[in-house]
Amino acid sequence: MPTTHRTRRINPRLGTYFGIFVSAFLSLLMIVAIGEQLGVSDTILRWTMLLVPLGFYVGIGIAGQTQDPADYFAAGRRVPAFFTGLGIAACSLGGVGVVSVTGLVLMNGIDAWCIANGVVAGLVVCAILISPYLRKFGSYTLPSYLGRRFDSRLLRVIVAAAACVPLLLIIIAEIKVGAMVASRLSGSPERSMSILLALAIVLTIGLGGLRSMSWGVTAAALTTIIALVIPVGIVATEVTNFPLAQLSYGPTLRAVGRLEDVRGISSAILSPLSFDFAGVGLEPLTRRMARPFGSLGTASYLLTTLTLMAGIAVAPWLTPRFGATPGIYEARKSMGWAVFAFGTVILTISAYAVFERDIIMERLVGQSATSVPEWFQALVQSGDAAIDGRAPQLPMSAFSFRRDAALFMLPPAMQLPPVLLYLVLSGALAAAFCGACSAILALGTIVSEDVVHGSQWEAPSTKLRLLTARLATLATAAGGTILAGMLPGDPLQLTIWALGLAGATAFPVVVLSIWWKRLNALGALLGVLSGFIVAVLGIVAGESNWFGVPSEVVSVFALPIGIAAAIIGSRIGAAPPRNVLEMVRDMRIPGGETVHDREQRLLRLKRRQRPA
Amino acid sequence: MMQRKERKPYWRHTKLQMVASLVPFILVMIVFPLYAERLNSNKFLGFPLGYFLLGHGLIVIALFTIASYVNRQDAIDHWHGAHEDH
Repeated sequence: MPTTHRTRRINPRLGTYFGIFVSAFLSLLMIVAIGEQLGVSDTILRWTMLLVPLGFYVGIGIAGQTQDPADYFAAGRRVPAFFTGLGIAACSLGGVGVVSVTGLVLMNGIDAWCIANGVVAGLVVCAILISPYLRKFGSYTLPSYLGRRFDSRLLRVIVAAAACVPLLLIIIAEIKVGAMVASRLSGSPERSMSILLALAIVLTIGLGGLRSMSWGVTAAALTTIIALVIPVGIVATEVTNFPLAQLSYGPTLRAVGRLEDVRGISSAILSPLSFDFAGVGLEPLTRRMARPFGSLGTASYLLTTLTLMAGIAVAPWLTPRFGATPGIYEARKSMGWAVFAFGTVILTISAYAVFERDIIMERLVGQSATSVPEWFQALVQSGDAAIDGRAPQLPMSAFSFRRDAALFMLPPAMQLPPVLLYLVLSGALAAAFCGACSAILALGTIVSEDVVHGSQWEAPSTKLRLLTARLATLATAAGGTILAGMLPGDPLQLTIWALGLAGATAFPVVVLSIWWKRLNALGALLGVLSGFIVAVLGIVAGESNWFGVPSEVVSVFALPIGIAAAIIGSRIGAAPPRNVLEMVRDMRIPGGETVHDREQRLLRLKRRQRPA
Repeated sequence: MMQRKERKPYWRHTKLQMVASLVPFILVMIVFPLYAERLNSNKFLGFPLGYFLLGHGLIVIALFTIASYVNRQDAIDHWHGAHEDH
């Protein structure tokens, strides 16, 4: 059995390389800041902050080009835990998680934390229940894993078809957000920006697949974290005298609460299932910041958390990532790093929202429509905010804000130099780039591996295999961009639907396939189909308001149905054959060759013996 | 390499560890939001306590859960000889 020493396969200079990248990005920031002081035109600075970071990611991606399937589909299995975790954190919600969730914290306050809690819980569940075992199995995609685990090609194709829907929703949402951010940064229309973004993504992942994506996304994720932490750190130093905004915005939050008391703002008592997150349009500020259940009912809060938990745990755009870790131990550890990176990002953006809310409560509420500060008038003119009413002392509900513009409000409101606004914009763009990259690559891989070549276990020739994968990735990027331009929709809602669908389809079957040996192909098939169908019907019913259950949380009800269908199907069907049971036993033990590698080796041996 | 008769004890041990790691975390995740409002009258690091636990607290608890799980599960792997060869 060919085993190499684990530490030899990991590039020992990774830290140096990404240190160089971070220094280069910081120097770019300083050059732009110097240019601004020297009076270089605003357009050049904006385009620099847009194109140079994208150029970095594309360069890193092209440098990772490869002709080896193990590199293309699994990054050569040598991405250490920290880098995998960073990538998983950046790809889990991508640009939506950065741009829309900031707005949610601003508009809906503490209720927006159900999204962060759901993702964190999903990562924990994935680390404990799923990731080490999928890593030991070693399949390149989620449908290949399920198909191989139950020895059923039909299941493989069905799971692949079902996984296409959430992946497409994620691609649409991320490209929408990315195009919106890029057009804010450059001033060009969104359509041309979405084409630019798709082009950058195809150039990044087209040649090297997961290998390019791992390193390109690492760079983008580092950009996101730096770009979000620096401006809010400056604001925090001004407001609270302590640069770590994530830990120091507490007094500001309580000050907001006191101002809300003074203005007499109360939260309505809601029914447990009400779901009232801010949409894409202008919405007035009505809720209190730190009082829970002002916009989500108790049940909705819990169900949203569970929906996101199930979705993140089996998200088809995240499962290839922990397949790229060097070993099972690192696959487990990578999820810890993912929680750390995701927590950093989400605490940072909540600091943005709280500082903004403080500024709104102190400097806007109580003013008249003519005496609001200049930066707010600029927001009103660009359509990101509105004032409603002519009273001499405007109440809080007279101010409306656009949810997806909230992240970009803080630098102008604190009179920071424009370069910091461009920095935040390029960070948000990097996050959207991460999310779109991972979803496009995952969908392209699933289409080529499990649909085009899904009818046989033996992989086609390397050349054909990589060619189809690349063409499928290209087609996915093109199709996703066109759909994102055509379809209306709220990126946040699309993301929640996608996670709900992904979780309802795969979560019960994937968890049971590891922890319950008796599950057979019929049970898995019934579980996947019933989960997917119930979730789709539920979302349609929720949108047309048939049962009064909001469409965002309805897919959580598909989980018990999926589990029940899987158990019933397994009881009806025959017990799994001996070779499948042996595979499950093998998958549960960390030591030894991965199941996928051993099967490929046996297939190669068989092929060599046949002509003789 | 793992001995054949170690398989069953290994998996029983692993299942126990899974329950011990996952159940407290899920319980905490469900219970925190319900008490957030009542805890908000206290403060911690300047934050309303309910908000702090829901935001920062759950992330810290998740980190602790994964760290302890990785450590314990690795010990279980080595105890039963099921660890990777490196």
